Order: sequence, then C-alpha cells, then structure tokens
Amino acid sequence: MSRPPLTVGIIPNPASGRDLRRLTANAGLFSSTDKASVVQRLLGAFGATGVERVLLPTDMTGIAAAVLKASRGRHARDNRWPELEILDIRLRQTVEDTRLAARLMAERGVALIAVLGGDGTHKAVAAEVGDIPLLTLSTGTNNAFPELREATGAGLAGGLFAAGRIPPEIALRRNKRLLVREARRGLCEWALVDVAVSPLRFVGGRAISRAEDLAEVFVTFAEPHAIGLSALCGLWCPVSRQAPEGAWMRLHPEARDALLAPLAPGLLQGCGVVAAGTLEPGVPHAPSLSGGTLALDGEREIAFAAGDRPTVTLDSHGPLSIDVEATLAYAARHRLLSIGREHPQHPVNLSC
Amino acid sequence: MTTHLSAEQLLHAYRVMRTIRVFEERLHIEFATGEIPGFVHLYAGEEASAAGVMAHLRDDDCISSNHRGHGHCIAKGVDVHGMMAEIYGKKTGVCQGKGGSMHIADLSKGMLGANGIVGAGAPLVAGAALAAKLKGTDAVAVAFFGDGASNEGAVFEAMNLAAIMNLPCIFVAENNGYAEATASNWSVSCDHIADRAAGFGMPGVTVDGFDFFAVHEAAGAAVARARAGEGPSLIEVKLTRYYGHFEGDAQTYRDMDELKEMREVRDCLKQFRDHTVAAGLLDISQLDDIDGEVERQIEDSVIKAKSDPKPPAADLLADVYVSYP
Repeated sequence: MSRPPLTVGIIPNPASGRDLRRLTANAGLFSSTDKASVVQRLLGAFGATGVERVLLPTDMTGIAAAVLKASRGRHARDNRWPELEILDIRLRQTVEDTRLAARLMAERGVALIAVLGGDGTHKAVAAEVGDIPLLTLSTGTNNAFPELREATGAGLAGGLFAAGRIPPEIALRRNKRLLVREARRGLCEWALVDVAVSPLRFVGGRAISRAEDLAEVFVTFAEPHAIGLSALCGLWCPVSRQAPEGAWMRLHPEARDALLAPLAPGLLQGCGVVAAGTLEPGVPHAPSLSGGTLALDGEREIAFAAGDRPTVTLDSHGPLSIDVEATLAYAARHRLLSIGREHPQHPVNLSC
Repeated sequence: MTTHLSAEQLLHAYRVMRTIRVFEERLHIEFATGEIPGFVHLYAGEEASAAGVMAHLRDDDCISSNHRGHGHCIAKGVDVHGMMAEIYGKKTGVCQGKGGSMHIADLSKGMLGANGIVGAGAPLVAGAALAAKLKGTDAVAVAFFGDGASNEGAVFEAMNLAAIMNLPCIFVAENNGYAEATASNWSVSCDHIADRAAGFGMPGVTVDGFDFFAVHEAAGAAVARARAGEGPSLIEVKLTRYYGHFEGDAQTYRDMDELKEMREVRDCLKQFRDHTVAAGLLDISQLDDIDGEVERQIEDSVIKAKSDPKPPAADLLADVYVSYP
C-alpha cells in the first residue's frame, strides 16, 4: 500500500488586519493580495523541504484564487511547489470558516497547519486541532502570539519539521491558554494571550483602544516588546511564554500608579494600575465587574451581565507551535539544507 | 468617539431602524398593488448602517445617498409622511411629488438627495465637505454608496479630491454583496472595498453591518477625525439586503438559504433588542412600545399619502429652471 502524501494545511484569515484600529490608531493594512503572497512563499519553502500536498480553504476575497492561479505558473513548477488542494467549504464569512477549515484539516491528518492571522485567528484554529502543531504567522493588527516573521524562513522550519527531519523536542513549543467559562450559558472559549474585562456593554467594533475601556487583564504570557493588551503586563510584570504561570492586572483611571502602554500600533495610552500579580494555573478568577464585555485575545466577544458568572482560568494545555528559531538553528547545525549535485537547484544544474 | 450611549440615544437608534424596516416592508406590499409610480429599491436589512452613521450627524452635516435611499433619508430625519407622499408622487411629498423614490432630498436636513446615477453622490459630498471647510465650520459630509459604485470612476475622483484637499468626508461603502445581479466578490477586484482607501492615503476599515454598535463605533471615530480636520476615511459596511435589487427582482442570482440565516440569526433589529435587554440598558416593553408607535406612524403615512393630491399640470416646469437676476 502506498503511503499517503505528506500533507500540511494553510489557513489565511481573509478578515484579519482591517478593523477599527485603522481609524483609532495607526494600524496598517494587510491586504488579501499580501496574504496570497505569504501563502506562495510558504508553498515555495514547503516544496523545498519535502511537503507533498497543501490544503488551502476557499475564501471570498481571492486569496485561494490567486494562489491557485500562481500554482499553475512557471515559478511554481520551477520551485516544485507541493500539490495544491483547495478545500471547497461553504463560506459564512465569519470565524466559523476558520474553525471549519481547521476541523477538516485535522480530519485529513495534516502534519502541520500554517496560520496567517492575528491572535484571534490562531486561537480559533488552536481550539479545533488538538496537538497538530501550528506554524504561526502574523497578518493581524495586535499580534503577540504569532511572531512577526518572514514567511519563507518560517515555511522552511515548518516544512523540515513536517518532513520528520527535526526532533519534536527541538521544534515544538507547548503554549499556555486561558479558558473562559460560563456554566449557565455552556460557554468554554479559549484565549492564547489575553482576556480583558471591559466596562463596554457591547461587542460592537470589538477592538479596545482606550484605557478607560479596560478594567482587568489576564495574560498567559506578557513580553515587554508586545503590542496590544498584554503589553500592560509586559511593561509592568512580564512573564515568559515558557513560565508555568501567567499574570493579571487590575486597572482604574483613578489609580495611584499609571503606566504608558501601546494598546494598538502607534497608540500609547496612560493606564491607571490598581494592582497586578501572578496568575497561577488551574485557579478560576471571576471578573472584577458585574457586567460588561470580555475581550479574548484583544477582541470583545462575550457580553455578560449581572446574572452571569464567567471565570478565567490559566492552564498549560494550549496548542503546540513551531519554534522557528530553534528549528532553523538545528537545521543549520546539521546542514539540513545542504544539497547534492543531483538537486535541480544545485549550481551545476542551473543553466546560464 | 462616543461609545457610551444613553437610554434616550439607544431608543432613538432603535426607532430609526424600526421605522426604516416597517417603511420598507410596507412599500414591498404597496408596490405590488401598482399604485406607486417608478421604481423602488428597498433598504430593509441594512438599517444598522444608516442608523449607526447618522447617530453622529447634525442637520448641518450633509449626506448623499443612492438609489436605495429611503433608510438614509429616515435616519437623517426627513419627514416620513413627506417621503411616503413623494414615493406616491403626491404634491405633499418632500419634493412636491416630482422626484419619487430615487430623488428624495431635503436640504434642511442636510440630505442632498437620493441619486439614480450609480456613484454620483460621492462628488456632491466632496463639494459639501469643501464648502464646510471653506466656511470654517466643523460640519462633515458623508457619501453612502454600494459595492457597485465602489468601482465607479466618480467615486475614485471624489476620494482623491477629499484626500488631497484634506476634506471632512466619510465614504461609507455599503457592501450588500450584489450590484444589481452581479456579485461583488466577482466584480470588485480588490479583496475588501476598505482596502481601496490605502490607494488614496486615507484609513479604511471594514465593519459588521448587522451590528448597530460596530457601525456606530467606526462612524464615531471617522466623524471625530473629520470634524477635527484630520481628513477623509472610508468605512466598508458589510451587510445584506432582504429584498431584490428593485421590487419585482426575482433574485435568481442569489442563494435564498444565505438570506434565511442572516434574517433569522444576524438581523440588526433582533441583535439590538437582544443585546440592549441582556445588558440591562433597556426594557423589552420600551422597544415593543416603539414597534407599536412606528406601525401606526407608517399606516397613517400610507393612508394620508394615498389620499393626498397630485401635483397639478401647472407645476410641471416649477423648480426646473432657476431665474438668475
């Protein structure tokens, strides 16, 4: 029996990178044209490292169409792109499209899923795919979970891992997560970076851009160079991705201490810090407000009122992700990208 | 940017959206009787866009609309009976019955007019914004147009002028997915209409047009920017129309299942009721009272419009030519 082709998935979120923060801050634009280019860079890197088939979902904005068109061109042939299979899903143009694509890829047994989006997109995929590793690429606005990284190098790392050439203990990183539960409503949602409690009553434009709209922040990790809500803890009580604990901070405009933090690109806000501390794993925390909204990974998603009892709990069962730096360092040490004279791209085979 | 709305503001927004819905659903029925001259294009389903933007505007802020203009007119404060009479072609209409559905205008409310020419409203709004700037007021001007008009040269020219002259303009692209019968995901070359703003050096955002609060927040930021002299913005509002392009459109180009889900799950009025009541900001009875009042208001406007007089033949050339001194 022939073995199945080595398959990986790519999920680009067509909606990421164009919310309100282009008006309220100086956030840039990540167009679908750019996203299609990122997917093509990944295909080049995947093809070079032995990936045989790539699954890509359809979308309404032309990403899959542009990639499909490119996959029939000379560049794709010369660079031995993997076979491209478009997952023709029934689109709803909501986060459900991302979730459905992730589930279908998991059913197909992909070795890896590359995600193009912000923290919210990564969270949506992570909650559906168990221990399938994620190759994280930032194409959103405030991105703390996916690092800003050029896709070609990331694709090489992902491809080498998928092809079994990097030991998992080198390539993979286990991430933390925050679980938001509300028993009465049967809610159990994930966040990978932060959960913020806001006095804003409606989900509305989703983003939070003002200090006064923040009452509390819980984070899985907080890096001092972060952008977004986790930057609050990152610049006050940083905690690494690897540490078992997280952090929390309570905010109020009239607090004695205040911190200047980048809540969105180019948007520095003075935030009153009431208290901050360590978030221990496994301990549920109730929000300090009786009503408002919960923002998961930077976007208001859950409105709650007096009758609701939401909790936020940190644990260490988040997704696996590819550690691109460690993977490529291993690849360099072991010369994994060295090629022999038989390789079509060896200099001796390139015609002038 | 106003994100905290008082109960009074919330009730007003709901009344605006409900008025548009009932007005349009009634026209859907009345048009079928053959009594209404001309074409009508219904705005039902898109109410959150007009209500969310207009919540930030004053009478001295101008808007331009398109062929699907009833919602913009109602939200801008144009008299409902005057609109109904106009659509029936009656003397009591806001344009004395000579404009009809596609040319409703009321300058006292800053409503520069619905417009049958696709994309033609955008340059008018650039002019209104230039006037506000030259007069030194902090008034703004808003162009409402659709995904079809987003491909029109006149719209691009207006955006370019607004950008180079730093005009207090807001371009609101109501993307309902279809330009007449042509799907926008086929006819619009870029992925999101909002992305076109980058070509003119202005910010562009995409918002959920089923959610009043999402539109309200984005429009608040864009209007505040314009009033502060910071220039134009583009807001792409993604929504759907519940009826055909025009009344009588069989909509064979459209999957009716997608519409069913949107009506049942995402409807802007339903969401508004659910969210405001769950948040404890409004009582369901307050909203039900508005529903009853609006039903009666629209019923009265139809009865009155039907019995109102037609413009006499002698009016034919009135308001057509301006006599210059």
